[in-house]
Amino acid sequence: MIAVLALIAGVVAGILIEPTVPVYLQPYLPIAVVAALDAVFGGVRAKLDKVFDDKQFVVSFVSNVLVAAFIVFLGDKLGVGGQLSTGVVVVLGVRIFGNVAAIRRHLFKA
Amino acid sequence: MTTPPRDGLAPDFLSDLFRHPLDPGYADAAARRAEHGPRPPWRRRGAYGLKVLTLVAIGFLLAVAYRQAVKAEPEATRAHAGLVGEVKSAQTATDDLQNQSDQLRRQVSDAQAAALGADAAELRQLRQEEAATGLAPVTGPGAVVRLVDAPTPIDPNTGRQSDQPVNRVLDIDLQGVANALWASGAEAIAINGQRLSTLSTIRTAGSAILVDFRPVTSPYEVSAIGGPNMLGTFNHTPTAATMHSLVTRYGLSFATRSEDHLQLPAAPAPALLYARPEAPR
Repeated sequence: MIAVLALIAGVVAGILIEPTVPVYLQPYLPIAVVAALDAVFGGVRAKLDKVFDDKQFVVSFVSNVLVAAFIVFLGDKLGVGGQLSTGVVVVLGVRIFGNVAAIRRHLFKA
Repeated sequence: MTTPPRDGLAPDFLSDLFRHPLDPGYADAAARRAEHGPRPPWRRRGAYGLKVLTLVAIGFLLAVAYRQAVKAEPEATRAHAGLVGEVKSAQTATDDLQNQSDQLRRQVSDAQAAALGADAAELRQLRQEEAATGLAPVTGPGAVVRLVDAPTPIDPNTGRQSDQPVNRVLDIDLQGVANALWASGAEAIAINGQRLSTLSTIRTAGSAILVDFRPVTSPYEVSAIGGPNMLGTFNHTPTAATMHSLVTRYGLSFATRSEDHLQLPAAPAPALLYARPEAPR
């Protein structure tokens, strides 16, 4: 419950504060979103599996975002930023799909 | 759920990723809790606080990313609208200059008439030469050759216009038609209202065809003033045969028709910077 409220508080803060994203951070935004979604769905699934762990959740979010951003940064420097972004999105997307499928099985037993 | 092997990556990393999408750390943490009992309360409270902070950060991130995506869209549209406006105003400016040029040309011819007298032999000769070189508007009977790009191909799957390249009329087609018309006895030619003179150019820039540096677009109408035999002669030229084969092969359309009364404008006068008329001997 607190978790959902915290998420909503973050969204409201983002809408109210209206931050401008610096240009050099803009390429990382989509990747950060996908990494954050992976962490969130992983956390929800773990909760339903009754193995949720606060520390594990925080570490998985931070490391997801950092590793994804680092890969994109490296790809930009090497001139293959687009392809590496695609790779990150594919790997995280597969995990999101798998976790959402597990959540669905938990909720609907189907 | 089975715990995946912990000694580095599984040999088949991708299928492992598909089979166990949940971070293995959760299972490890649960196993550790089962083994050693729960962590001390101060560490649990710290981790809980961090989790709440992380969730706030994630919500913030989602909102910011959404706003960014919404903001980027109108920016692209604005840039497009700005460019369209620039093109439109440049076209208006060109048209204004064209009108001004026509007006000045009329003033020059009025001044010539005033200086030489309305029916002097010199004036008549001057008018004749202006008409022949394309520097004066002319009227007369003639023919119109019409060339149109092939229709945009329709994508059979979506039913919309596909992005495949259209078979277009090329500058070389217009050049060939103009040359064949000259060869068939045309005395004055205009393409989409752009009169050709001896210094005219027909060439491609990007995907547009420029006649004397003014863009012309499909459908192209090449109007030529000439005798009654001109069209028949033109239809027997190799160029006409080539155009007919382009019609069957690429789907362009090509048609000719006679006109009793054609009116062709004047071509822009070439600015002579270095060439001077030879002194009469």
